Amino acid sequence: MSEEIDFDEILGKYHSDPFEYVDIFAEHTGTVRFLVEVGNDVEAVSGEWKHIPGTALYEITRERNPKKNTATTNGVVSEVYSGLEGRFVEAGEKLLTIRHPLKKKEIIERILQEVLIIFPAPERAKYFFAPDVQSRIEKKGAREVSVKNGDEIIIMSLMKRDTPVYYSGDPGVIHSVYFQPGVSVDQGAPLLGVCPADKLPLIKKIITRVKADWDKSS
Amino acid sequence: MDNLSQLIPAVLNDHVSAVEFPARLQAHGEQKAEAIARYGAFIGSEIRIYPSLGRAMDQARAHIAGCEQNGRSVASGSLILASRLDSSKGRFQRSWHAPLGGLWGCLLLADTFLPTFRNILPLIPGIACCEALRQEGVPDATIRWVNDVLVNRKKQAGFLVEGFVSPIHHEQYHLLGFGLNVNNEAFPVELQEDATSLSTILGESVNLCSFAMSFFAKIRWYIGLLFYEEAQWLERGGHGEYTDNHPILTRWLELSDTIGQRVSFGYDVVQNPQYEALVTGVTNDGGLILEHDDGGVSIEHSGEVRY
Repeated sequence: MSEEIDFDEILGKYHSDPFEYVDIFAEHTGTVRFLVEVGNDVEAVSGEWKHIPGTALYEITRERNPKKNTATTNGVVSEVYSGLEGRFVEAGEKLLTIRHPLKKKEIIERILQEVLIIFPAPERAKYFFAPDVQSRIEKKGAREVSVKNGDEIIIMSLMKRDTPVYYSGDPGVIHSVYFQPGVSVDQGAPLLGVCPADKLPLIKKIITRVKADWDKSS
Repeated sequence: MDNLSQLIPAVLNDHVSAVEFPARLQAHGEQKAEAIARYGAFIGSEIRIYPSLGRAMDQARAHIAGCEQNGRSVASGSLILASRLDSSKGRFQRSWHAPLGGLWGCLLLADTFLPTFRNILPLIPGIACCEALRQEGVPDATIRWVNDVLVNRKKQAGFLVEGFVSPIHHEQYHLLGFGLNVNNEAFPVELQEDATSLSTILGESVNLCSFAMSFFAKIRWYIGLLFYEEAQWLERGGHGEYTDNHPILTRWLELSDTIGQRVSFGYDVVQNPQYEALVTGVTNDGGLILEHDDGGVSIEHSGEVRY
């Protein structure tokens, strides 16, 4: 991570295009039928327990078993690969794109994720800090807790199977925690953002600068 | 009658050959049944029995570490049993009463499962226990998601799986902890309403070694079936999501009474119940499908239910 960050370039990028483009892929093989068009607004999954599905995006049918796939993020449909309508697609084939408007907090997180060491979820599961890490966080706060390669930091819980997860990456302090205990995290989603201790001032500078700049211009 | 010391690998093998395998043969055919039996044969290949332990899981970890320190390999499928556990606990540090008369221990499994199939592993002890109970004359034995075994709404057995990475070679293990109330009939006050034992249900004590053999023979069968299904899936290409109806999940559905129940759900449902919903099914990887009162649907792969 460089000490020098071109704030103007990063912020300029988000000012000129404050969106995230979320590609939607076929969940499995099957015949696809689109349920949205370019320009449609889509709603994300909602409800206290994330139990109210988002806007239905496409239906995929395999062996006469149709399955509707719904949006997990809000925004506007910016692209639909309509040539695939009614055709058989492979799992993972790109079907459409949602343009998701970014909030200030999301922009800060995205910039931070570019500079922090991101530790992703190995499987879709619920995650908890390992007891030792949890007690250190409770005593001192996460940003005073350092981790290094091989440390048992998190417990992954799936179907009454609790598995220790070991940190792999450069040593640092836990700067950002992206999971909540008891809430499912998708595979590959960030669990932790770790920052080498000597880079913390830089991270603080990023947050302060983005907040000030965004507030000034909005 | 605590005659666990009679349970040695050869006795378990004899039981499998004489009782378990013939019972499976008719349903699966000779070729398939033999393949499944081969895949599961390592279960119980080593059995260590102790008069008492603190926690069987801790003993399993110490055993793995000790083997590595002495330059020996660990026998996957080893069983660690104790006549009683003095500091046993369930999930969330809940106390688990484990006096003489019960079947307490840990099955040690090297993690050679494909990631796609690991979710199925925790279903196996519940199925094995439920089948053993029904065979023993308890037709009402049922499974509460994920793997609690209940008889008349009281818990007869509980299971948990903990991961462990060995200290020297960093090999990953699943430690499958089991606690089955068999001949132990006295429970602490806080458990009296919710716990029961096999002898209490039957009104007489049972042969602990025989019941243990029945349970482990079924564990052996279903672990074999898990590997067999993996092999079949790999032969078909092994790509993407496993979308078949897994035979272990199918069996779980036959034995469980969770589907159709209105349940309280929570990660730790005793301390922190999160919501109530109707269970409408399970996904093909064992996740619970819960329908909320407002029509929304949650799919939970972790947590527990009460009803």
